[in-house]
Amino acid sequence: MEELDLPQMQREVESLKLQLQTNREKSSVTVADLVKWIEEGVANDPFLNADLLRTNPWVEGGKCVLL
Amino acid sequence: MGEMEQLRKEAESLKDQIIVARKGFADTTLQEAVAGTAVVSRVQLKTRKTLRGHLAKIYAMHWGAGLTQCVSASQDGKLIVWDTLSTNKVNAIPLKSSWVMTCAYAPSGNLVACGGLDNMCSIYNLKGKDGNVKVMRELASHTGYLSCCRFVSDSEIITSSGDCTCILWDIETGTEKTIFAGHLGDCMSLGVAPDFKSFISGACDYTAKHWDIRDGNCTHTLSGHESDVNAIGFFPNGNGILTGSDDATCKLYDLRSDQELITYQDATIMCGVTSLAPSLSGRLLLAGYDDFNVNIWDALKAERVGVLAGHDNRVSCIGVSSDGMACCTGSWDSFLKIWN
Repeated sequence: MEELDLPQMQREVESLKLQLQTNREKSSVTVADLVKWIEEGVANDPFLNADLLRTNPWVEGGKCVLL
Repeated sequence: MGEMEQLRKEAESLKDQIIVARKGFADTTLQEAVAGTAVVSRVQLKTRKTLRGHLAKIYAMHWGAGLTQCVSASQDGKLIVWDTLSTNKVNAIPLKSSWVMTCAYAPSGNLVACGGLDNMCSIYNLKGKDGNVKVMRELASHTGYLSCCRFVSDSEIITSSGDCTCILWDIETGTEKTIFAGHLGDCMSLGVAPDFKSFISGACDYTAKHWDIRDGNCTHTLSGHESDVNAIGFFPNGNGILTGSDDATCKLYDLRSDQELITYQDATIMCGVTSLAPSLSGRLLLAGYDDFNVNIWDALKAERVGVLAGHDNRVSCIGVSSDGMACCTGSWDSFLKIWN
């Protein structure tokens, strides 16, 4: 990892001041939102619902056709 | 006290203040929030297609915004645009430098980009008038290798480099709009937010950083990994950051509360993570490792729920298509595979 010179150190301090000011929200709110967003999306996730992949364009159609 | 020493003390003090600030917003954990949630059942994805044609290690792939095309880059010196349904090569673009490490597909589908040990990002126009694919721009000013590139639009692209910086470029003029400096080690990967207003970078200083594209500032520095952060990606809703590291783990960070939420690790996994991609809902995390496998994790419960085994060498890149219907893996064994 690099050792910083003076101008780089000054920029690091300025950046840290800005990062300290970053807006933060309570995790009880944000984590609940994240979990809710995931759980609402699960039903539409093709990797978690076999029936969504019933029309799977990457699978070759069968050679038999139902007449 | 010299100025350097004063600045060092100030930096340490600010880092401590940030840790205190974070603690103030940590009133729950992900584990608590999902204590009552069951782990998803075993996920079994099958190889549906194998894309053959590269003659050497594949280093990168990226899905197009359309649902079935992707671009791949190999150190055989070619960029190939694939129709993954037919496995046909739509374009096979010979590169000036074969030491390519990254490639990207523009959201519009009009452009692709690549770069590597030539320290440049080359932009190719796929929709040129005479049907020939030619270099449109060569973006050169990084003083280290190009590790990753991602389009913001047809006129802007972000690159990450071994020179420890990321750059936002104006493709039209071929000039740098903004230089994002602050990482203390090679930048290894980057990801652009779904709303295109910010991006994230992972580096060999063991951290990931979140940057505002317009004002150029770093808003969050995410620590916790014990080695290089090789892979990074936004959680699909833009509020989470997924990282993969040489320390054999992946992590999920929450941007809004600035917390590290969970680590995806297993005592039996001792090799580095090379690449990662979330599934459409974010419930699954697919991660490629040096041991030739892809592990599928339940992102909420941090348990392994599946494995994609099929490559004969390191999985170097992975991507999930934009409608979540397929996953593509690229490997040092020179093949790409489509799974679902």
